[in-house]
Amino acid sequence: MGAMADRLGANLVATADTRDFGAWMTSEQKRIFLLCRRMLQDFGDADAATQDTFLKAWQSLNNPKSKELDDPAKWLTRIAINTCLDRLRSKRWQFWRRRPGGEDEAAILGMAASSDPDAEDRLFAKEIDRRLKQAVEKLSLRQRAAFTLRHYEDRSMAEIAEILDLDVGTVKAHLFRAMEKLREELHDLYFHRGRK
Amino acid sequence: MKHWTENDFQNWLYGLKDEDQHVTECADCRAELGRLQVERRRLTEEPEVSADFLAAQRRSIYNRLEQGPASNWAAWRWVLSTAMLLAIVFGLTIPRWHQAAPAISDDQLFRDLSAMEQSAEPKAIAPMHDLFEQ
Repeated sequence: MGAMADRLGANLVATADTRDFGAWMTSEQKRIFLLCRRMLQDFGDADAATQDTFLKAWQSLNNPKSKELDDPAKWLTRIAINTCLDRLRSKRWQFWRRRPGGEDEAAILGMAASSDPDAEDRLFAKEIDRRLKQAVEKLSLRQRAAFTLRHYEDRSMAEIAEILDLDVGTVKAHLFRAMEKLREELHDLYFHRGRK
Repeated sequence: MKHWTENDFQNWLYGLKDEDQHVTECADCRAELGRLQVERRRLTEEPEVSADFLAAQRRSIYNRLEQGPASNWAAWRWVLSTAMLLAIVFGLTIPRWHQAAPAISDDQLFRDLSAMEQSAEPKAIAPMHDLFEQ
């Protein structure tokens, strides 16, 4: 969380200043976009969800009833996760929607710059990543949210529970079930080449 | 001493298993924990997102902020489409419920009535006559 977010959280009572909000948004934008991208597995949806997240945050901050935020980053993460869950719920009914097109995939690949110089490693990581994404799509919405927050954001159980508004035991149960479904992919991810 | 299994390591990595006495004392398992932590950090490294894309996204957000609260079109769209669907379904089904019995012409009605009046026997007896005639 950036200093601007701290200031935003500390000073915010009734109306958010656009400049403060802009700076805060810039500091959080990439993290929120990637979180949405991982939750929704779709570039365009993630873009829309990120925009919705910041709009909701802005509207909420400008609500006269809004209270001081203890942790603006966590609060924003909760908005993003709920926005993604809403989108995933409505997507369930949109079975006619096409899969991401080639252009989307190219944009995603172009977006990702690998720091690994070894082409074989890169190819392997991409293949595993693809399998992991496919497997994540089979998870229930809560399982997906819990796994994404744990795997990509390295959040603690307590934080995940707070973001998802669940108790820690329920989060553990969701994560346990998610792990049961993803175990094979995760095994290949971590143990494929044996212990180094 | 029994070493941790791969499942144990996975569960520990995802917060489902706590470190126990074995893993604190076993050098091999500790080394494996370290390796997995490094591996996980590498695997979940944030990909680069182009600055142009993020700038364009911010412009879109500012544009939407200037337009004020989003319209409720998304919600209304569902309401309208559901209402239209119901109208179509009712439009197709209600006329069938109210469909009248096939109309009979007056001539046909009089012919049927007079036929019934002229015959002394109920119609159901007619097939029995054939039995006696044989």
